[in-house]
Amino acid sequence: MSIELLTLLFFGTLLLFLVLGLPLSFVLGGVSVVFLYFTWGPESFYMVAAQTWDAMNKFILVAIPLFIFMAMLLERSGAAADLYEMMYVWFGPLRGGLAIGTVAICAIFSAMCGISGAAVVSMGTIALPSMLQRNYDKLMAVGCINSGGGWGILIPPSVIMILYALIAGESVGKLFAAGILPGFMLFVLVSLYIGIRCYFQPHMGPPIPKEERGDWGRKFRSVRAVLLPMLIVFMVLGSIVFGIATPTEAAGIGVLGAIISGLFYRQLNLPLLKEASLRTFRLTGMIMWILFGAYCFTAAYHGMGAAHLIEDLMQYVPGGPWGTIIFIQIIIFFLAMVLDPAGIMMICIPIFLPVVTAYGFDPIWFGILFIVNMEIGYMTPPFGFNLFYMKGVVPPSISMMDIYRSVIPFTIVELVGLILLMIFPQIVLFLPNLFFN
Amino acid sequence: MRAINAILGFVDALNDHLGRILSYAVLLMFLLVLSEVIRRYIFNAPTVWGQELTQLTFGVYVILSGGHILRWGGHVNVDILYTKFSTRTKALVDIITSVLFFLFCGMLLIYGGSLALDSMSYWEHSISAWGPPLWPFKLMIPTAAVLLLLQGIAKLIRDIITLTTGVDASSQELVKKETA
Amino acid sequence: QDVITWRCPAHFPAASSSFKDSVQFVSALIKERTNGRFIIEPYAAGSLIPGPEVFNAVKRGMVPIGMTSSAYDMARVPILNVVAGLPLNFAAEWEGVYFHQWMGFEQLVKDDMLKNHGLLFFSDRIYTTELSLKKPVRSMDDFKGLKLRSSGIMQKYLTSIGAAATMIPGGDIYAGLASGMLDGAHWGAVQGSSSMKFYEINKYHLKPALNVAATDIWVINKNAFDKLPADIQEILTRTLEEHFWRRTNQYQYLEELELAKVQKEHDVTVLTIPPAEFSKMQAAAIKIWDEVAALSPDCAKAVEMIKEFNRSMGRLP
Ligand code: NA
Ligand code: NA
Repeated sequence: MSIELLTLLFFGTLLLFLVLGLPLSFVLGGVSVVFLYFTWGPESFYMVAAQTWDAMNKFILVAIPLFIFMAMLLERSGAAADLYEMMYVWFGPLRGGLAIGTVAICAIFSAMCGISGAAVVSMGTIALPSMLQRNYDKLMAVGCINSGGGWGILIPPSVIMILYALIAGESVGKLFAAGILPGFMLFVLVSLYIGIRCYFQPHMGPPIPKEERGDWGRKFRSVRAVLLPMLIVFMVLGSIVFGIATPTEAAGIGVLGAIISGLFYRQLNLPLLKEASLRTFRLTGMIMWILFGAYCFTAAYHGMGAAHLIEDLMQYVPGGPWGTIIFIQIIIFFLAMVLDPAGIMMICIPIFLPVVTAYGFDPIWFGILFIVNMEIGYMTPPFGFNLFYMKGVVPPSISMMDIYRSVIPFTIVELVGLILLMIFPQIVLFLPNLFFN
Repeated sequence: MRAINAILGFVDALNDHLGRILSYAVLLMFLLVLSEVIRRYIFNAPTVWGQELTQLTFGVYVILSGGHILRWGGHVNVDILYTKFSTRTKALVDIITSVLFFLFCGMLLIYGGSLALDSMSYWEHSISAWGPPLWPFKLMIPTAAVLLLLQGIAKLIRDIITLTTGVDASSQELVKKETA
Repeated sequence: QDVITWRCPAHFPAASSSFKDSVQFVSALIKERTNGRFIIEPYAAGSLIPGPEVFNAVKRGMVPIGMTSSAYDMARVPILNVVAGLPLNFAAEWEGVYFHQWMGFEQLVKDDMLKNHGLLFFSDRIYTTELSLKKPVRSMDDFKGLKLRSSGIMQKYLTSIGAAATMIPGGDIYAGLASGMLDGAHWGAVQGSSSMKFYEINKYHLKPALNVAATDIWVINKNAFDKLPADIQEILTRTLEEHFWRRTNQYQYLEELELAKVQKEHDVTVLTIPPAEFSKMQAAAIKIWDEVAALSPDCAKAVEMIKEFNRSMGRLP
């Protein structure tokens, strides 16, 4: 059977079982087993165990429970609620102000954390209840977190950028520098969208009622709430910048900050630690079991000949440099639905990069496009890991369909951002050229 | 029926308690990471075991979570069509789709078991400078598969009861009742 | 004509030069020599099987052939401790080649692997492990308090001579060096360090090597091998044996080329530990050699060969 047909069957089966309501992790794992049996044979099942053991041994993933635990502590100790109260008092008069504040926090979180799953889950825990409580439309609230939560791989540090740098033979420092302005641009674009949308449709992000607007005294008192989260940000970023901890270990510094913050709030007690631990355990497990399934799926797809498929597809590239770039991005977009980022890189970059550089494009610029593409892939229906991570933290009143609908406008905004990056490569290349030439 | 309920209750309780105990491991990981940073940065004396012990703890923590999360309905799915189904249809669909679940868990049990046995055949130690035994950690893969399978079988039995009697016996209902 | 296709997982990332120059090169050569009757399909690290599981996957017959690191399976195959390179074992590549091919070490490993694991064994090449550093190091004393990224036996050795050797994962090393958490790291020699971008930060490169070894190895499942037609068996064996010499030599050339490049582009200074200091450092490594010698009779034999060689060079008493 040709790899094209196999691919259709493989993804079709996946879609069918997903729609029938089987959890994503078991769909990914189960479909892999079935296809491995028919295309390779039972001796290949060892892959399931080997990939699982490998996933248990990836040190970068240790940051997931630590960051989630940090978020849980902040939420339970009241620090998160106070932070939102502050934002409400200051930015409340602006329609959509809280959502813009949320994406700002997402951007800061992304600078602390190099993987995206942790950000979506953490921000979903911290930001969602605060926005819903203030009558923000659920689609606006969920959508902005899903969008901002994906920036972890674009704004440095980023595990994916390091991987790309190694595969592409590019400088890690240059890639990190290259991600800063595009990250900031996406933040501006998303904020503009929220601001404009809420200006015309105030029910999406209602402003603070006139009678609730505090005097300057209340405003300045509320600013205190920023101090503890700022302390945490400085501790985490400082520990990375000053060589105290690796980016992975910095997550542990974040937990320390959250504990200090909890002590200030006099909320840190055993029941709180117990509950935060339990919720962290369940959310981390949810993410990791999806990854167990995804690693199997990626490996099975490799074994079926995914690289041949990509090579075959490259023969259909419409002519010209831009036709190629766009065609490549469409392929990445589809692969980003179900494969883990590292898997996509391993399949695609060795094939795409020579083609792209032959046309004279800058590999650093292409790397950033690639990463923004993956980010978009992870938040677009029907599959997209971030959608599922989000589903794991939303209250029962928000369905998967709500999550799907919520990301549509944000996807369009990020696509606009992507197009801007293609038209104006300087947004990507300005900082790396400034720092490294 | 009472015997069945007792068994279902036992499986629920097993995964529930195990998960609650394991959940504290996040504190352990935090302390390990923090102490390693302090030892290296302040005392210039990193340990040979800090990072690896954190990693091993993480492995156990995440692999054994599968059954606990299934018991609490925490493995996320696409509920677009699913929520429109009647209770009985849901049960029927779940019974059908569970084939993939059992295939995945089954392979994890058999081949994870084989991976662990292999490791036990020479009492495998890590190749790191610290060199702790690895086999107990590899053994966690089949153990996790058993816990997950037990919970999956419990769910299957509940689905069959729901399908035949029309009364919702799913653990989601149970979760609702317990948290109410 | 019948085409036989073997999947070949490797522990190299797709973009590493060794994936191209070792795995894909051998694959292309074999395809040509068998007129396309035998295809070895290379798979980069983790794409089918994680690197540390390649040995197991070949042993149990999931895949017929694989390329892996000799360090991954030291716990299960004691002799691989020696293959992976004892600290300060040799001073140059040719010494390691002589040890493998003239003193009989390669055959010792082949016999051990076939008898105990049903595997055919081939060293890919001999190359060095060398440190790239932010601070100059010129003597054994300079290692005291030096914050280094290392792993396995080498971590043990560097700790024993006073370094603060830590094992952090590959992806975190660059950040560790950039921020000052680390003073240096080893990742292969010049090409490895350069591919990991260490020279963007590290301006010193230390010679001679921390070890000289067959870090990358081929393993073939004997049952699968036996099912191949005799002429293909012959071509496969000959090609891998020949590859060892060509690749070792090519790698040394590429090392010199890369060293010149990083010296020019990143202003890297090469530091050389004087022979007297090297002898001192070697003497400090003997305790670890003897620990490995105690693992099995073959290990003892191999360690004795290394000592004998170093005595013949006048480095050991
Ligand atoms: Na980041
Ligand atoms: Na998607």
